[in-house]
Amino acid sequence: MRLLRHDLHSLSGAYALDALEPGAERDRFTRHLSRCQSCASEVRGFREVTTAMAFAAADEPPAELRDRVLAAAARTRQLPPEIRTHARPRRTRTRVPWVPWLSGVVATASIVVAVLFGFAQAHTQDELNQVRAENQAISLLLSAPEAKLLTHTVTNGGVATVVLAADRHELAVVTTGLPALPPGKVYQLWLIGKPAITSAGLLPPAKDGRTPPVLATGVVKGDTLGLTVEPAGGSAQPTTKPILALPLPV
Amino acid sequence: MNPNDSDASRFTSATTDRRGERDLDLLLVHVARGDTEAFEAVYDRLVGPAYGVIRRVLRDPSQSEEVAQEVLLEVWRTAARFDPAVGGAATWVMTIAHRRAIDRVRSTTAAADREHKTAEVHTPHDEVAEAVEASLDAERVRRCLDGLTDVQRESITLAYYGGHSYRQVSDLLKVTLGAIKTRIRDGLIRMRDCLGVS
Repeated sequence: MRLLRHDLHSLSGAYALDALEPGAERDRFTRHLSRCQSCASEVRGFREVTTAMAFAAADEPPAELRDRVLAAAARTRQLPPEIRTHARPRRTRTRVPWVPWLSGVVATASIVVAVLFGFAQAHTQDELNQVRAENQAISLLLSAPEAKLLTHTVTNGGVATVVLAADRHELAVVTTGLPALPPGKVYQLWLIGKPAITSAGLLPPAKDGRTPPVLATGVVKGDTLGLTVEPAGGSAQPTTKPILALPLPV
Repeated sequence: MNPNDSDASRFTSATTDRRGERDLDLLLVHVARGDTEAFEAVYDRLVGPAYGVIRRVLRDPSQSEEVAQEVLLEVWRTAARFDPAVGGAATWVMTIAHRRAIDRVRSTTAAADREHKTAEVHTPHDEVAEAVEASLDAERVRRCLDGLTDVQRESITLAYYGGHSYRQVSDLLKVTLGAIKTRIRDGLIRMRDCLGVS
């Protein structure tokens, strides 16, 4: 059965209520949702309605549940912060004031160059879309009112440039002039904080001495951005001495 | 950076927030970094509505407790996937809670269990009334539900609180699939406007 587009759209309510049975119809709507901004924002609004309905039905669980959940959490490993490579739907579209608030012109130029370079390197439509998505995410980050620009030298050569948007708990990193690594080694970024050190992603291979931007989420107060050399594929925790330790003014 | 201020003050700025929404968002960011204290705070604020909605869907208290535990653990495990740009923390958690409850309902054993109880579901309006305590949330939601047509209200409550798919709702209310789809959406639009959701 083929559904017309407006029929698909009218499933937004049932979808938001989790009332679509698993199967072709739900799959089709889910795919549609990833392409249809207005559907996505409609579903978001409906989800706020259902959240209010959940609060209206609030009920007190047995007191033992709390201890059980906390004990289970203590044994359960968490997923690391997400390294975003896809643009996410936003509540609002923001125009990007690239230059006015940025003071470090050279550093800004290095990010712009890195972003543009990504475009130049994209050969297929998919790659191009990916670069566009990254570029958009970085543009949004750059347009955050509280975004700060930080640069720091890396101990064994090169410079790291960081755009930090504390209010969004996000940052973007590009580097220039890092020494090339022997095969089987990668540069890995870390968010070093209390109580944990978490991976903030691997630096992509450098092109003309520059690494394309990496976005990391989940930045909180007290974090230091670290960079280490790790075996290919990265490590769960740093295994070498950091060559960059940049306290983040969050 | 002053390392001394990180622990003492980190929740102070959060709690002075306007409606507590961004406060919760921030707590979840801390949860994603392994902060158990932040997780306890999230638990205390959201377990009531999460358990409540699961209980509405599953009815059986011990199963509801099990699912509530799974949901809260999922919040702990996947907090790094929470994206405040897409919606608030409460919405994120309630979406997980409802979805998990529905998954449980649709798994075979629970479904068999529920077959006997389907008849009770025919009075969704009373169900809502019964859940409504003196809370403002409940009062507001009840008032907005009252503003819907009967079919809109019944299809939304049967689907959300009753855990029925829109196909099942169509059977229960003897209204065509296409009409149910539309009534649910129209009803949610009205609810959205009535509740003042953006």
